[in-house]
Amino acid sequence: MTMGDATAPEGPAAQARAKLLPKGVGLLLALAAWEAVARITAGGFVIAAPSEIAFYIGANTGLLLRALGTTLWSAAQGFVWGNLAGVLLALVAVLAPRSERLLSTLALLIFCLPLVATGPILRVLYGPGTGPQVTLAALAVYYTTFLPVLVGLRAAPRGWFDLVRSYGRSRWTEMFQVRLPAALPYVVAGLQIAAPAAFLGAMVGEFTGAERGLGVLTVRALRALDLPATWSIAAIAAGVSMLAFAGVGALGRRLDLAPPEVLLAPPTDTRRRAWSGIAEALLAAAVTLTVWKGSMELFALPRFFAKRPEDVWAYLVTSPGAEAQRARLFGALGETLALAGPGYLAGLVLGAGLAMGLTLRPRLAGAVIPVSIALRSIPIVATAPLIVWALGRGATGTIAVVATMIFFPTLIACQHGLARTPRAVLDLFDVYATGSLRRLASAQLPAMLPAFFASARMAIPAAILAVTTAEWLATGRGIGALMATVASTSDYGMLWSAIALIGLAAVLAHALVVALERIVLSRTSAEQLAR
Amino acid sequence: MPVLAPSRRLFIGGSLATAGAALLSPRRAMAQSAATLQLSWLHSVQFGGSYIAQSKGYWTDAGLDVSLLPGGPNAPVEPPVVAGTALVGISAADYTAAAVNQGAPFKIIGVAMQKNPFAIASLPDNPVNSPADLVGKKIGMALANTPVLEALCTVNDVDISQIEVVPTQYDAAPLVQGQVDCLLCWATDLPVAMETQGVESVTMLLADHGYSVHSQTYIATEDSLANRREDLVALMTGEVRGWEDYQADPAAAAALTVEMFPDAGLDLPTQELQADRQVPLMFSDLTDAEGFGWFTDETVAANVETLDLLGTPVSPDLWDRSILEEVHG
Repeated sequence: MTMGDATAPEGPAAQARAKLLPKGVGLLLALAAWEAVARITAGGFVIAAPSEIAFYIGANTGLLLRALGTTLWSAAQGFVWGNLAGVLLALVAVLAPRSERLLSTLALLIFCLPLVATGPILRVLYGPGTGPQVTLAALAVYYTTFLPVLVGLRAAPRGWFDLVRSYGRSRWTEMFQVRLPAALPYVVAGLQIAAPAAFLGAMVGEFTGAERGLGVLTVRALRALDLPATWSIAAIAAGVSMLAFAGVGALGRRLDLAPPEVLLAPPTDTRRRAWSGIAEALLAAAVTLTVWKGSMELFALPRFFAKRPEDVWAYLVTSPGAEAQRARLFGALGETLALAGPGYLAGLVLGAGLAMGLTLRPRLAGAVIPVSIALRSIPIVATAPLIVWALGRGATGTIAVVATMIFFPTLIACQHGLARTPRAVLDLFDVYATGSLRRLASAQLPAMLPAFFASARMAIPAAILAVTTAEWLATGRGIGALMATVASTSDYGMLWSAIALIGLAAVLAHALVVALERIVLSRTSAEQLAR
Repeated sequence: MPVLAPSRRLFIGGSLATAGAALLSPRRAMAQSAATLQLSWLHSVQFGGSYIAQSKGYWTDAGLDVSLLPGGPNAPVEPPVVAGTALVGISAADYTAAAVNQGAPFKIIGVAMQKNPFAIASLPDNPVNSPADLVGKKIGMALANTPVLEALCTVNDVDISQIEVVPTQYDAAPLVQGQVDCLLCWATDLPVAMETQGVESVTMLLADHGYSVHSQTYIATEDSLANRREDLVALMTGEVRGWEDYQADPAAAAALTVEMFPDAGLDLPTQELQADRQVPLMFSDLTDAEGFGWFTDETVAANVETLDLLGTPVSPDLWDRSILEEVHG
């Protein structure tokens, strides 16, 4: 973890010994407490004891290893394709700034597509095999890579661009000499967030009808009330994700990234002509509808389950039952937004707050980061029962699920953002012996803001995914429950109407975040707004 | 569909290849054509008869090369059958009726589960033995299944407003944790899971209280019925032979399932228990007399009546017995 780098180098061996002892004892105590709680609540089938998990893994090593191999291979392929797509998208957006709004809108909409709709389509397109798993793993990561890399490609001082231009060099030189090096740390952040997400995407992808894998075993274990199996799979998923996370982080440190620069940029005029905003929105709408209809026609997907834009229009506007169907859909959306909003804000505040807290108390990172990764890499179907058991089926439980899914990417992105505080600025604060709180507020917080807004954007689709899953599994209300119900009764008209409406809500929320971002960053990080 | 649509050339090539193979292996005497059977869930003994058909070569005997596609939580059966990637799907009359009401061109060509497996599972110290016992209870179920509960209440004169519905995921934990008094589930899965975990439970089969909905039904499109009849007959012939073997020895079917799918995380005792529990749902006096998968005008009429209560009105034409008549004829 990036924060570890800050520790003083004096007496490393002695320090390691001193640290190791209490850490080992703490871990043992935690395990003992876990074991005790599990044994006390054994009749309730809530928590599996560490000993049961160890026994299950020991007794089923072959099965688990084969399943892990299958899922890991799908996740790895999805990780490569998804990140490649994310980086390429960001490059295009920077090279052709006019396309950025359109690209980010499309990227957001595709990321919002729920599994109930994509699952059957991907399975029909690919047939048997791991195609859907790989695709869903890729879909789970490209967006969370696209956004940080986009920020990174702009995180260079204005003077450098002027220098490149004054020598008459091309945009390519600018890209390779200035932008890409500046983006590298952000690529690392993106890849770190992507690692658990790809694994989760591959696992969930197996819900679309797979022969084998950890996702298949999860479904089996949940239905069989086999708690040791469920928890063993969750432990393996979390462990693999932590290793991948640490591996990417180590790779990032090996790259010997250039220390952060002082980013000076002239203030930009953030006011935009009204008509250009409207024109961009219209263009985005037209392209979205064309892509939607065009891709379905291209693959000749039957209208029965792949509804076209005009089918949704008919369903919501012109068909005989349109009014009742609209009322049902908007009612559900209202219930959903009422919970998604607070969960979204709670997750962002928690993530950013933790990131800042960890700069003040870096040693806590060793405890916080693994738990965060675990929460992010285990499918909600496996964690939701535990959250429901602890917090109930009311609003609190749902908000907790949403916040849980959001705070990890926010935490990681903000941590990397904080680490981009220029050394020269920190030195200045040190010279004046400024307190760490003051330093955080005046130097590190402004450096974190671009990353924070990138995570606020990422969190929009994540919040939607989390709230709809919680509604489906626990509360039975809102648009998540509606989508689950209509999918099981082949009411694909309602399903695609719900998807369209969710997409629209996501785009609007995104526009709101972007507007806020422009206002704030025009004061603190003008380089992000220069086009 | 672009992926699996068997083109004429592919078909001829396949025929030539199998014709060559026929010289070497006498068993493959007939030309093989390919078909996919879309299962409704992950591999388990629930589809034991199909595994027998595959492993004993009942389909190859009939001239068909069948691949089995497992289902899952996000793998509905209807889309691949509509798209043509699967020739036949394992659905249920209520799902099929809903899909047909949404414009899907399906026919039910066979019925594996004569009695619907839906049941109310409860614990012995607070049991639900009859629909009247539901009054004042908390029932855990997927909200999507509300029409099922409504139909049960209507048929048995129970006031549904007296029952508290708690939306839960499909899992026995809410019952054993005491969050609910009973669960709406299949008699062949969650109760089996509880028994395997040492939790005794009481099950009340909905089919014993007027809920007549054929389950594990074989569905095909009208287009397939018109243009791929031979393949449909071959597929159902293999199914019938496989399930006849299953009826004779469910334990062997359980053993075969565990052996064929070592990566599915199945254990033999659970599969044997499940295999036993589904026997009375699949085989009856009717199937003993007429053969596996059979249905009559009377059983169809009872289904139409229940489906009407479920809010999915259908015509008896949804059922098409012509394939089964060829198989058993």
